[in-house]
Amino acid sequence: MVTCERWVAMVRAAAGQVRASQELLSNLDSHGGDGDHGTTMVRAMNCIEQAVAQDRSSSMPDLLRAIGWAVMGVDGGATGPLFGTFFMSMSDAASGDAALDARGLAAAFAAGLAGVQKRTRARVGDKTMLDALVPAVEAAQAAADCGGSVEDVLRSAFEAARAGAEGTSALQARFGRAKNIGEKSIGQPDAGATSVSLLFKGFLEGVTSHA
Amino acid sequence: MAMKKFINDPDHLVNELLAGFVLANANKVALTGNNLVVRAQPKPANKVAVVTLGGSGHEPALSGFVGEGMLDISVPGEIFAAPGPPRVFEALKLANRDAGALLVVLNHEGDVMTAGIAMEMAEKEGLNVKQVLTHEDISAPSRQDPRDRRGLVGCFPVIKVAGAAAEQGRPLDECLAIAERMERNMATLAVAVSGATHPSTGSVIAEVPEADMIVGMGQHGEAGGGQQPLKSADETAAIMIDALCEDLGAKAGDRLLVMINGVGSTTLMEQYLVLNGVKKALDAKGIGLARAIAGEFLTVQEMGGFQMFAAKMDDELLALWDAPCNTPALVVK
Repeated sequence: MVTCERWVAMVRAAAGQVRASQELLSNLDSHGGDGDHGTTMVRAMNCIEQAVAQDRSSSMPDLLRAIGWAVMGVDGGATGPLFGTFFMSMSDAASGDAALDARGLAAAFAAGLAGVQKRTRARVGDKTMLDALVPAVEAAQAAADCGGSVEDVLRSAFEAARAGAEGTSALQARFGRAKNIGEKSIGQPDAGATSVSLLFKGFLEGVTSHA
Repeated sequence: MAMKKFINDPDHLVNELLAGFVLANANKVALTGNNLVVRAQPKPANKVAVVTLGGSGHEPALSGFVGEGMLDISVPGEIFAAPGPPRVFEALKLANRDAGALLVVLNHEGDVMTAGIAMEMAEKEGLNVKQVLTHEDISAPSRQDPRDRRGLVGCFPVIKVAGAAAEQGRPLDECLAIAERMERNMATLAVAVSGATHPSTGSVIAEVPEADMIVGMGQHGEAGGGQQPLKSADETAAIMIDALCEDLGAKAGDRLLVMINGVGSTTLMEQYLVLNGVKKALDAKGIGLARAIAGEFLTVQEMGGFQMFAAKMDDELLALWDAPCNTPALVVK
């Protein structure tokens, strides 16, 4: 089960992953973007850590909502609204649960994705965060449907997110500011997709270290 | 090329620029709450409030439009990046009044998302807020899908006419209708001759080959095609005003408001030359230049080039454009 305590360990590990890759994320974003994605993501992670340090709630929905709201507060263009919406929408799906089992976690991820998809017109193949998030959520649901454990769900999600993010190297950006550089966007992965992969890597790391 | 800018710690850049901005305009603007820019003397609460949001690094936009006759509140974000929804919601709560508030949003991914979330929260809270989206950059393919058209310097005239209407005590629906009419009848095209650097990351925003210009470049140097050898002021003015007139469907007898907005390192001298070229081109078409303005209103750091804005005006829009205002970026007596 993913309890609040365990979820906090997971998001802390995710923050660690993002922090360790700050420079990489900014470098990826400098191809067609402002080169500030790493800085923005680290600020978002700092907000999450502040929120979980202050939040004493014992319910998953409240904790997820606090995290989502904290990420929304980052002044970083679309990054805050998108990642913030992911956690806020997870919260809506988790309503009433004190802890999430494997199926509940996969369902919450799916709700998070649905929330993000309501906010953006970007679709899979556009070279955005969705190229990692969509396969990650699908893999999480498949693992849960097969009766997998929380750890199985997170491992499947991370592996799919990583493959999705790496796959964006071959794509030409069709969305966001990077679409304006056309073919020059091919050859390196998308910064947002890479961030998604790092978050799931952290979730998996956090859940295994806090078994 | 190494970045050559007078800055301190990039993490404090926005705070420091706002502090200096308020010092330089102490009789007009003030800071409140979480870095919200408000008027030094608030407008009476029986009049509609006008609010906007957007990234920093484009000074004097957007906070330079705060003041009598224009904005009540601006929510500045990070460098080239929209603020998050919580601060915009904070601004909408601060602006809340029976007369209502108008939120002016420039069409950029982050700004639109932030505004959308803040508007949802405002509705839940029962606040009386309406939104107008500016998307007038004609370098995107067509008017058919305006979502692809970015909001450039056109936000400024929209804020000007909506702000003047609000100052006159017009109700929210009328202020919104006026803002939307201005928005529908305006178009902007940008040209770049040299790029800029992002002041916190040092990232190069847009590169323009030595002997070229790029017509159709967006706020942050997003390319819009149209790379060609650099031309004279008159030739460039003609190319751009022709494209704008075509998009607007402007014909002989129409009256235009034209603005040349320098984006950073293009001199005011050049802006005047271009404006003069626009007048010649319009004269040849029999289209009237009802009002003209040149200067730096929405900049992109040290980028070279300008945004050319044109709008078809009617009597009411002209009167609102001429109405008094007293803001850091524009004073009309």
